[in-house]
Amino acid sequence: MSELRVKNLRREFGSVVALQDMSFEVAEGEFFCLLGPSSSGKTTTLRAISGLEDLEQGVISFDGQDVTNAPVQNRGMSMIFQTFALYSHMSVEANLAHPLQRDGISQSEIKKRVGDVAELLRVSHTLKRKPTTLSGGEQQRVAIGRAIVRRPKLLLLDEPLTNLDAKLRHEMRAEFKRLHRELGMTMLYATPDQLEALTMGQRVGVIENGKVVTVGTPRDLYCAPDNLYVARMVGSPPINILPAAAVRNDQFQLSFLQSSLEISSAPDGKKLAIGLRPHDLVLAESDITGGVRFSVKIKLTEPLGDVTVFDLAAQGADLKMVLREEVAAQYDVGDEIEVAFDPKNLHFFDHAGGQRLSKE
Amino acid sequence: MTKRYREIGKAGWSYTLITSLVGLIYFSPVLWIILTSFKTRTDALAVPPKLFFTPTLDNFASVFYRSSITTGTSQATDMALYFFNSIFIAGTSVGLALIVGTLAAYAFSRYPLRGNDTYLFIILTTRMMPPIVVIIPIFLMFRLSGLAGSYWGIILLYTAFNIPFSVWLVKSFFDELNPEIEDAARMDGASEGRVFFRFCIPQILAGLSATFVFGLILTWNEFLFALLLTGVETRTVPVAMARTLGGEVGVDYGLLAAIVTLFLLPIFFVTFLLQNQLLRGVTFGTVKK
Repeated sequence: MSELRVKNLRREFGSVVALQDMSFEVAEGEFFCLLGPSSSGKTTTLRAISGLEDLEQGVISFDGQDVTNAPVQNRGMSMIFQTFALYSHMSVEANLAHPLQRDGISQSEIKKRVGDVAELLRVSHTLKRKPTTLSGGEQQRVAIGRAIVRRPKLLLLDEPLTNLDAKLRHEMRAEFKRLHRELGMTMLYATPDQLEALTMGQRVGVIENGKVVTVGTPRDLYCAPDNLYVARMVGSPPINILPAAAVRNDQFQLSFLQSSLEISSAPDGKKLAIGLRPHDLVLAESDITGGVRFSVKIKLTEPLGDVTVFDLAAQGADLKMVLREEVAAQYDVGDEIEVAFDPKNLHFFDHAGGQRLSKE
Repeated sequence: MTKRYREIGKAGWSYTLITSLVGLIYFSPVLWIILTSFKTRTDALAVPPKLFFTPTLDNFASVFYRSSITTGTSQATDMALYFFNSIFIAGTSVGLALIVGTLAAYAFSRYPLRGNDTYLFIILTTRMMPPIVVIIPIFLMFRLSGLAGSYWGIILLYTAFNIPFSVWLVKSFFDELNPEIEDAARMDGASEGRVFFRFCIPQILAGLSATFVFGLILTWNEFLFALLLTGVETRTVPVAMARTLGGEVGVDYGLLAAIVTLFLLPIFFVTFLLQNQLLRGVTFGTVKK
């Protein structure tokens, strides 16, 4: 039972609190992602779990044992670092063999396991070379190989794709999923990139200021974010946030709409933040029947190939929407268009606290 | 990133010519001395100086053997001993300073104390005044402790002089390293000692070589303390060189030049051996890793 429980971690660097009350659990064999912006405490969390970082407070238990104060080497974990951290003065083969050398494994067994891992990661042809002579993708795979060669029970990954170009990132995402399926080890993956978290994580924990604020499946986070912060973190292009106030007990007014809309759960006068995913905003004439319609002006277009992101100016609000390329091609900057959304797709949050307000 | 550097030799003739001219100007005093060491006394003193002459090895022979004026027999000088002294004293003290300095630099870099920078500053203050300021107290201390004239005395002194320099330089090399490599080694099961010796040191070998050579050059040429604190048995070459100047028969420039030429050789040799490392060492951290 190699599950990981992290409870109430606290870590300070001088006057800066890196982790405060950080708690979450990772099930055995799970691919768990920690998603948060830079300096939100992802790396510190991973380092604390691995034992590289001391803690002011908190308990880490792994595999049914309290490992909070266990030595780094005895935790049965491996880590892949953002910079890959390959031993540049050693050959690839020596890099891969190094984790095995302390366990009293015979030379022939080491050679066999290094060979196996190299084959699994398709770096067999580089074994005699120095890491600095490899391409970024190969270096990354060697780093993975070094981390898994000892067959750790938990693999920690600290933004492993940050230093790669976009194409390689795409390939490596698939590679990580493949490895997870083939090796079945528990993986804890820290990333600032919502795309990585959503595509790879079975569950995602969203970090804000050294604390996990939400844990959920990628679908939960996208479709029903718990709070404004999560709604903003997840989804690309980012969610449109519209400030509004509940005018009466069950109604609210958006600046660019003539009529007010209904909401059941907001008390009178409460300030709201209303979220609308760019994908839920559509062209009025073609894509929706009914819904709430209003006109906007196109400020900017960002063609992404298959789709184009439109930056729109509505009265008192800036919005983004996504259109398929062939549709988008009919419009240009400066055009006025009629757009619409289904009120069912709105997300309601408390403006001050950011919590989700349920809507029925 | 596009490569900013073209192949060697692509700079063109004009740049190459200018560079070699400047190089020649820098090298000319050394060249002068080397040429003089192969000249006879007459050639050495000739005005205008001779560029073409019949070379002789007499000067080099008389560095180590000198014929006595009275008896006419050949007699060994102590120069061989002085060369040994120079090599032994400089090598040992710079080596010791490098060992101590590297350990200290690692500690300063990886386990910073409260007020780390203050300590580093204090270490550096010892290099802020001219050494001559401390010569009298040091001379008295050496006299009292009996270190004057001994190998260990002068080695200790040079080591102490070289440590601040080593600490600062080597610390900058450690600071440049990616600490995640050390963390990776720890997670792989390496002990702290292993992390230091097997992972940190190999990465900064170039820097260590550069530090060694710079220290060696400084120590090799040191004259003031050597003059006052070495004895007959522990005299170094710079001191011995100065003593040949004070002969009763005038200055023998050929002999002097021969000593200097021989004196240059070990440094040339070490620098040549380490030149690849040196170049990497002085440019450490200035290029993208």
